[in-house]
Amino acid sequence: MTTDLFQLVLNGLLLGGVYALISIGLTLIFGVLEIINFAHGEFLMLAMYATFWLFQLYGVDPYLSIVIILPVFFLIGLSIQRITIQPVLNSPPLNQIFTTIGLSLILQNVALFFFKADYRTVKTSYSDLGLNFAGLIISFPRMVAFILAMGFIGALLIYLKTTYTGMAIRALAQERRASMLMGIDVYKTYRIAFGIGIACVGAAGSILMPIYFVFPTVGSLFVLIAFVVVILGGYNSLIGSLFGGLIIGIIEGFSGFFISPHLKEAVYFIIFIFILLFKPTGLLGRK
Amino acid sequence: MTAIEKEFPPKSKAISGMIGLALLAVIALPLFIKNEFYLDLIVMIFFWATLAGAWNILGGFAGQISLGHTAYFGIGAYTSTLLYLNFSLSPWIGMLAGVGLSVLVAFVVGYPCFRLSSHFFALATIAFAEVLRMLSAYWRGLTKGGLGLLVPFKPGFEYFMFNNKLAYAYIALTFMLLMIFVTWAIKRSRFGFYLISLREDQDGAESLGVNTHRCKTVALIISVVFTSVMGTFYAQYFQFIDPEICFSISLSIQLALLSIIGGLGTLLGPVMGAFLLTPIDVLLRGWLGGVFAGLNLIVYGAILIVAVMYFPIGVGGWLKIRWERLLRDRMVTPPIPLKMGMASSLLPSISPGGDKTDELPLLRVRSFGKHFGGLHAVRNLSFHINRGEIVGLIGPNGAGKTTIFNLISGFYSADSGEMEFQRERITGLAPPHKVCRKGIARTFQIVKPFNNMSLLENIMVGVFCRIKDPWESRKEALRIIDFVGLGRHQFSQASSLTIADRKRLELARALATKPDLLLLDEVVAGLTPKETTGLMSIIKSISARGVTVLMIEHVMKAVMTLSSRIIVIHHGEKIAEGTPAEVGENKAVIDAYLGKGFRRGK
Repeated sequence: MTTDLFQLVLNGLLLGGVYALISIGLTLIFGVLEIINFAHGEFLMLAMYATFWLFQLYGVDPYLSIVIILPVFFLIGLSIQRITIQPVLNSPPLNQIFTTIGLSLILQNVALFFFKADYRTVKTSYSDLGLNFAGLIISFPRMVAFILAMGFIGALLIYLKTTYTGMAIRALAQERRASMLMGIDVYKTYRIAFGIGIACVGAAGSILMPIYFVFPTVGSLFVLIAFVVVILGGYNSLIGSLFGGLIIGIIEGFSGFFISPHLKEAVYFIIFIFILLFKPTGLLGRK
Repeated sequence: MTAIEKEFPPKSKAISGMIGLALLAVIALPLFIKNEFYLDLIVMIFFWATLAGAWNILGGFAGQISLGHTAYFGIGAYTSTLLYLNFSLSPWIGMLAGVGLSVLVAFVVGYPCFRLSSHFFALATIAFAEVLRMLSAYWRGLTKGGLGLLVPFKPGFEYFMFNNKLAYAYIALTFMLLMIFVTWAIKRSRFGFYLISLREDQDGAESLGVNTHRCKTVALIISVVFTSVMGTFYAQYFQFIDPEICFSISLSIQLALLSIIGGLGTLLGPVMGAFLLTPIDVLLRGWLGGVFAGLNLIVYGAILIVAVMYFPIGVGGWLKIRWERLLRDRMVTPPIPLKMGMASSLLPSISPGGDKTDELPLLRVRSFGKHFGGLHAVRNLSFHINRGEIVGLIGPNGAGKTTIFNLISGFYSADSGEMEFQRERITGLAPPHKVCRKGIARTFQIVKPFNNMSLLENIMVGVFCRIKDPWESRKEALRIIDFVGLGRHQFSQASSLTIADRKRLELARALATKPDLLLLDEVVAGLTPKETTGLMSIIKSISARGVTVLMIEHVMKAVMTLSSRIIVIHHGEKIAEGTPAEVGENKAVIDAYLGKGFRRGK
């Protein structure tokens, strides 16, 4: 019994790492640009498709494709920000919400149009590999996913702490006017922050491909999880997203096992609503 | 041109005639359509118009962006269908049951969500609809889950099923006309003004006595009723429902899209949106959906982005501006003449009620304390204000003056201390609208005009605090406009006013609530000397008519001239109190705030 419990925790934790990576991009975007990127999941979906096609057509290993995906998605993020987000940055929330929703609609259906609705998966030599460790089974792809996700998150946090752009991003997230007065190029920083957020979710897509399957609306599923993680962790705390992701991963595992696989989403949505109502700053957020 | 001019239109027979004709045309339209396909299209147009209009009441007028309205649609559809299938209950009754359940759910889940800011509110509504979708898919015993529910066809009015699509068209039309009527009634009523005001600036609305929470809830409930009804209609028209259809986020988005394209917060915007987009959608799906799956949605998404970026006021909004300009040019009844210095019978009745002979202080504050984390904004502060005084509240920036205003007006709650107003203990009275109704009104340091309302409408929101009838309210508002000298701007959008006029508007609005105590927060800041003198004389008139004034000011000319007494605040504490002369000589005040040059300058 205890082994089962540990197994649940472990599996949850491993998947939670990926959730954390997806969410941290969202938190970054929300913290800096103060918009909720409803299209975040679609970028995940696109990254997954990119990984799939790179593997299918050119035999590129999913984890290696990150090398391509990361910069490409960063650039995609920069462009999208300039074309669709920038014009509505000073508009009322309604306009911002619907801009990203419109974007999400377009991306989903472009994918549907080009790739059809079939589920696609990537089968590599290590897809089914499991390691045995003290009686617990660790799925190899999940373990790699976790390690890579943690690695990227760590790199991001170090980047934000030590580089000028990183500090500019943090400053902007806290106080826009003062940042402008300090000579920070606000619009350029917005673009970079958005680009980094999309790059993160792009990497998450590649990491996710070996352990999940892709179809045009897969983004909606993960973006809702990401929203829950972001709010749970604290909508302006990156570390919060990290812990939030891990916690949600575990909660999901437990509710799937003890309640029902079909209702596990309902469980964390209900948690989501409760947090919004009673502790909107989440675990680590500031007011 | 204002909404009021439109709702109480000049006696223009031509316009009433046009409206009547349009109505007749719409009602007669379905009779002339023989083709099944086009009749179906008409039904869908009416269907979407009603749904979008319902959403518009909450999203357009009240400004609460719900992306989970599909939840109520689904509840309506499933309730009536399940009651019909299991208990042979007529779907008409089932429809009412669905409405009842939807309203209950809205109250339980939607109501607390209003505390959230717009992005989070949208998220919460999405999550809530998703939970319902999952539950309805999971609860196979009840709902047959993903298999969906089939409504066996049985024609007859009591079964809400008909052979002829014409009947459905007329039912949908009836609902649509009902929705339009309700929207129209809201728009011209006090409730409508309140909704728009809370959309424009919630704090500003609260400070004028608007119970924003209650207004939002009522708007939600009205919206939910229509949404739920259309859910039942859908079930009876298509005779098949499943979780994917009934709790689909695309439906929620569609409602919003129609309202945005048509014109948020307008009467006929959603209807126009439906008339425009439904045929386009059907056509797109016909042309492109079959061959290129999803292409119609790509177009939809693109339309959404373009609309939101470049046409945020929508077709309806654009037409409304044209219409109002047209009406203004043809106005028959002139507004009440706008000259300063009129006979006193036409002056606004701003003198407050209350016992004038009362000798005790109007407002008494004892040991007020407020801290934010480690920062003590206000510390053991006690003072009183007597009826009829003009008291100045001065001190360095960050001294806590606006915090004191926020404490008095109910925007903050004091950590310690008590407050008495007109001998009634009102410590901790919140939310702010309650404080306003007691007779304390305030302005804000950074003015909060209701930008998308005209100046007249802005002031009417304040008047509505005491006068419920829109027509009377308008007359009173016109008097107040005249009193403060803003006559030539009465129809201008608040957003187009200069800062001086906005300050005057802020003052006029607060005055409109007939306060006993008026809190003015830096009301002459940023004004030219001439504008300052103008405002000062208005404040003098206000005081002469019995309103007690407490003003925060940095402009010494204003505060020293007007005030009979001054309270000086520094680091959240009172450091001096007395006449302007006494305070001007006080060493502590000079050190902290006035500076040595002040005495010399005098």
